[in-house]
Amino acid sequence: MAETNTQELTFTSSDGKNMKVPRDVAERSLLIKNMLEDLGEATEAIPIPNVTENVLTKVLEWCTHHRNDPPTTGDEDDSRRKTTDIEEWDQKFMQVDQEMLFEIILAANYLDIKPLLDIGCKTVANMIKGKSPEEIRKTFNIQNDFTPEEEDQIRRENEWAEE
Amino acid sequence: MPKRGHNDELSKGFPPKRQRTTETGRAPDHLSSLSNEVLLHVLSFLPVQSLITCQRLSHRFYALAGDSELWKRQYFSKWVRPRARRFAMTRRPTFPQSKFEYSPRVSTWLDHGRLNRNERVTNWKRQYQLRHNWSKGSCRITEVEIPRPPRPPMLATLCTGFVFTADSQAGLRAWSAERPGSCKAELTFIHSSTPTALTAACGPETNCIEVAVGFADGRFNIYKMDTAKLRLDLRFSCSRSAHGAVTAVASSYPYLMVISEHMILSLYKLPFGSDSPGAPDAAYPIASLKADNMLSPMSLSVRPTGPLVVASIVYSIFHLGCGWSLGIQELHFDKSGQQVSSRLTTTVDTQYGVVHLHMGRRHGRSSAPDRRSITHSHTDPFQPIILHQDPPTSVSYSHPYLLTSHADNTLTVYLVVSNSDSLYVRGGKRLWGHTSSVSAVQVSDRGKAVSVSSRGDEVRIWELESSISPFADHQASEDDNSVKVSPNKSHTLEGGDLGLLSGMRARSPLVDVPSKATQGRGYIGFDDERLLLLREKEYAQLLEFYDFT
Repeated sequence: MAETNTQELTFTSSDGKNMKVPRDVAERSLLIKNMLEDLGEATEAIPIPNVTENVLTKVLEWCTHHRNDPPTTGDEDDSRRKTTDIEEWDQKFMQVDQEMLFEIILAANYLDIKPLLDIGCKTVANMIKGKSPEEIRKTFNIQNDFTPEEEDQIRRENEWAEE
Repeated sequence: MPKRGHNDELSKGFPPKRQRTTETGRAPDHLSSLSNEVLLHVLSFLPVQSLITCQRLSHRFYALAGDSELWKRQYFSKWVRPRARRFAMTRRPTFPQSKFEYSPRVSTWLDHGRLNRNERVTNWKRQYQLRHNWSKGSCRITEVEIPRPPRPPMLATLCTGFVFTADSQAGLRAWSAERPGSCKAELTFIHSSTPTALTAACGPETNCIEVAVGFADGRFNIYKMDTAKLRLDLRFSCSRSAHGAVTAVASSYPYLMVISEHMILSLYKLPFGSDSPGAPDAAYPIASLKADNMLSPMSLSVRPTGPLVVASIVYSIFHLGCGWSLGIQELHFDKSGQQVSSRLTTTVDTQYGVVHLHMGRRHGRSSAPDRRSITHSHTDPFQPIILHQDPPTSVSYSHPYLLTSHADNTLTVYLVVSNSDSLYVRGGKRLWGHTSSVSAVQVSDRGKAVSVSSRGDEVRIWELESSISPFADHQASEDDNSVKVSPNKSHTLEGGDLGLLSGMRARSPLVDVPSKATQGRGYIGFDDERLLLLREKEYAQLLEFYDFT
């Protein structure tokens, strides 16, 4: 174990920057972990084509903080969804502008870092919760492509769920 | 990731991937730039209310937030998992032995199994909505009035979206429960006799309902309704006029139980797929017995369990100590029709608060079951806990639930335990909720019950599973286990439909009009989506459709 911890990998971001990453931090990403298992030893720089340097730095910051977390299993899927609570460090970590937030989600999805993806999605879910449709559209600049008739129909269709 | 059925629909209006800026100068919509997969992941953290809100955002969100898998998860966490947790509690070894008496079949706990039987893909949002509406009692009501009711009154029964009515004038008619008032098929009775009993059950083939009609002259007919072709056909007719009018029929394909005026009980086995009407031996009786001491109201049921067919008759009896009680006779037949055994029990012990301890016991002691009086809240063992001075107004039994309705505004629920060793009743409990005399009740094997007051102004839906559970928080559940049906949308039939009606006309719902003269007799039937009430008024019969979709 101690041997792998000290091993360093090199990532190349989509904008061509190289960065050194300890192997255990890098292995928070299942994509990288599986790749390393297939390759055995990675001596060359690993290109991360979908992620820019500033996003990759942010993602690696999260991975470094959570490098000793126990691996997640599929079992807690349901209890995980029950709550949108996010632990304090992660909340602070997610206090970024929307562009960065969505870049982190995309990177976590691409790199297959499930806990980070969950935190990102929970953060977005919290931004949706309790808001009216118009407020949500404003928050995310979503274009309303419904005709007034369609809007009315959907409202009637979902009347049953109103408290 | 589970397979999703409607990806084509979703990809409509799917924006170019990773759109950073738009030419229109609008601020970028980062959220919509996510893939469906990631957006669904975001939505999976949202409660139902937010999903509903998200459906109003845009076409794409409408499809995503209505995703069946999302709603399946919501359905399970709202309706299935809490029950599964209760079930898990009963398995916990730290609970005292006396609480280990009985739990309903596991299959009834995770009750989505039947949904998988349908070939079409389950729409979980719809299922959630349906369950939600039942739990709130909210529905649309449509009333159909029969102004000059035939004498004796018309009979009605509901089976998987079809309503069957039988009367001597119009014969047997099948109606769509979805669009009340439109007659789908009809067939007049060949011989002129008055129908006295009616039942319908799903047949052996898909799109097939078997309808059994009993007549005043002791004859009974079996009809087959083809729900795809909308055709009613007589499968066969059986005459046994010697025993008087047929008073009740119960069926569970291929078995049919008939009870006559003179208390002759007969069980028939129907042949498979025989389409030759009139063949005299098409249905052959496999058992007959005479029962003298059975009083109305009673309830018949047939259920196949493993290698046996269990036919049960629940009837009213008078007991000197605790007033009106119920007797349960259970007859076991093997597949060839040989009677294997017959067992009898009553609710008397339960009404006195006596608890049977059967757990872990095997043969030998079963004839003399151990008894133990409940000590708490009941000091005098000679005073019954449940005392009924008047006979029940109706009885409904759908294993394991046994329910009676009473004129004193209450219902009483029992659990019938029937295993290889013994047959007994436990868990007698009065249910409060009605504010006037209760005239009829109907229960399903999943513990959902519907009761109606004799004036017809109050219909209540009960979830019995939690109220009968020894682990339920009784203080909390006492008032919560039933809801009053509150129609929230009125619905009148369109004139075009009325052309199909003979002797029926639709009327607007009389939610606010007190229907004083409604009599107690009637029929209650319900399936997953609808509730049907047949009520008698002084000069008319009323068919009421409550639609929970």
